[in-house]
Amino acid sequence: MSKFMYVFRGGAIATTGLSPTEVQAHLKKWYDWMGALAKAGQTHPGGGRLMGEGMMVRGHDRTTTDGPYAESKDLITGNLIIEAASLAAATEIAQGCPIFEFDGSVEVRPIHEM
Amino acid sequence: MREPAPRPAEIAGDLFRRESARLVAALTRVLGPTNLPLVEDVVQDALVSALSAWQLGAPNDPRAWIIRTAKNRAIDVIRRQRRHTALFAPGADDAPDEGALARSLDHALEGAEVDASQLAMMFSICHDDLSADTHVTLILRFLCGLGSREIARAFLVDVPTIDRRLHRGRERLQSLGRLYDVEADDDVRARLPSVLRALYLLFNEGFHGTDAENPLQAALCDEAMRLVALLQSRASTASPEVHALAALFAFLGARLETRMGDDGIFVPLAEQDRARWNRALLDHGVVCLGMAATGPELSRWHIEAGIACEHALATSVEATRWAQIVTLYDALYALLPGPVVALNRALAVAELEGEAAGLRALDAVRGDARLVSYPFYWAAFADLARRRGDVAEAVAHYESAARVSRSRAERVAYERQVAKLVRRGG
Repeated sequence: MSKFMYVFRGGAIATTGLSPTEVQAHLKKWYDWMGALAKAGQTHPGGGRLMGEGMMVRGHDRTTTDGPYAESKDLITGNLIIEAASLAAATEIAQGCPIFEFDGSVEVRPIHEM
Repeated sequence: MREPAPRPAEIAGDLFRRESARLVAALTRVLGPTNLPLVEDVVQDALVSALSAWQLGAPNDPRAWIIRTAKNRAIDVIRRQRRHTALFAPGADDAPDEGALARSLDHALEGAEVDASQLAMMFSICHDDLSADTHVTLILRFLCGLGSREIARAFLVDVPTIDRRLHRGRERLQSLGRLYDVEADDDVRARLPSVLRALYLLFNEGFHGTDAENPLQAALCDEAMRLVALLQSRASTASPEVHALAALFAFLGARLETRMGDDGIFVPLAEQDRARWNRALLDHGVVCLGMAATGPELSRWHIEAGIACEHALATSVEATRWAQIVTLYDALYALLPGPVVALNRALAVAELEGEAAGLRALDAVRGDARLVSYPFYWAAFADLARRRGDVAEAVAHYESAARVSRSRAERVAYERQVAKLVRRGG
């Protein structure tokens, strides 16, 4: 098995105008998905839970700016490390992620084994 | 190294909806209705933060987490606002310091104070300048925590209509210097009828809801019952009318479970399993009706609660005290003459004196333009025809009822009546 990192961008967190019930219903979908992953022994929980705000330090000059740093659909909203047999398998697992309900994206990146 | 597995993460019931409504009322009371948009943003932010922070597992006390986050966020935003103001008008900032603000927020977020804030919000919303539809819309938004799409779905209107009502309501609320104070303001009694009517519409939307597949539908009845209980809990807002409305909700609410079958189709009163009616709610209704029976006032809520009580306590349709019900409908019609009351009265007359008398009573509303798109109107004629044994006419009327029905739950219920008659007739 190899390790992969999912980098989440956009999704419900970057969507405005959701009702409290919609937010809670969406959270439940994450729990269902995470529960299914955990059952399959795939998760390394503790992946990043990112707050909405932050700072950006960029370039030779270390130019420091407030967030948001990207369009909301490109905003990194979290990450998760999973185990899978191959990049193709990890990509397949990502298909079930609830982030797509709100048009988010999952970048699937293999992690070097040290 | 592997970290511990995430906690089994289940967020109970409608925590987000309830807490957001409680927070909006509490924060608006402290920060003033002028800051309503800020308050709505702060609460929305707290929920989205929860979505982000809890994705891998919920905290031990989710409710406390949301409240704390919203509070900190509010202080943060106000701090930033003050800094901004101080920049443009140095020395103009005479507002209390942050410590005092944090203390007043903490105080406002305590249970009893949140109830007081919700009452304040309810009375602020139900002003005569706004229509009854707008009152209910604002209650659903600011006291029940529903979003525009959900309110639109409950009312069967489009989202822009709801957004327009919310916009009007927000403007009106923002123009108030502070939220209404039910303990100090002297026209509580004058505003109460609008508040009660709004809660009645809210309950009705849940009870006769047009969208049976909507999971929030039953929650509307619960919310109406919760808010009327809030009115009952304070000496300043409790009155015989309030208790009467609470009784009406309790008697109808007791039947909520049985009025729809497992297949989501309405079950006629005569076919409902009365043993499954909610005993605790029936008892609560009787207690409320007792409290309502003080003072000289006989409001429409008293009469409607009386009718609902007769149905609720009868062991069957046959054992129902129809004479009492007809008398109550007479009183209701005297108070609120209208085609729907006349229609229901005619059905009670039919039970008491037979189909011919019922039909004569129905003649008063026959062809009423306000009723022809109302399924119960056609169902009334159909029921009487069925009992007379006139299958053809009954079928025709049930088909009309099905045609104008407002949901699948209603339509299929009438189609089943047709099928039953056809089976028996053929």
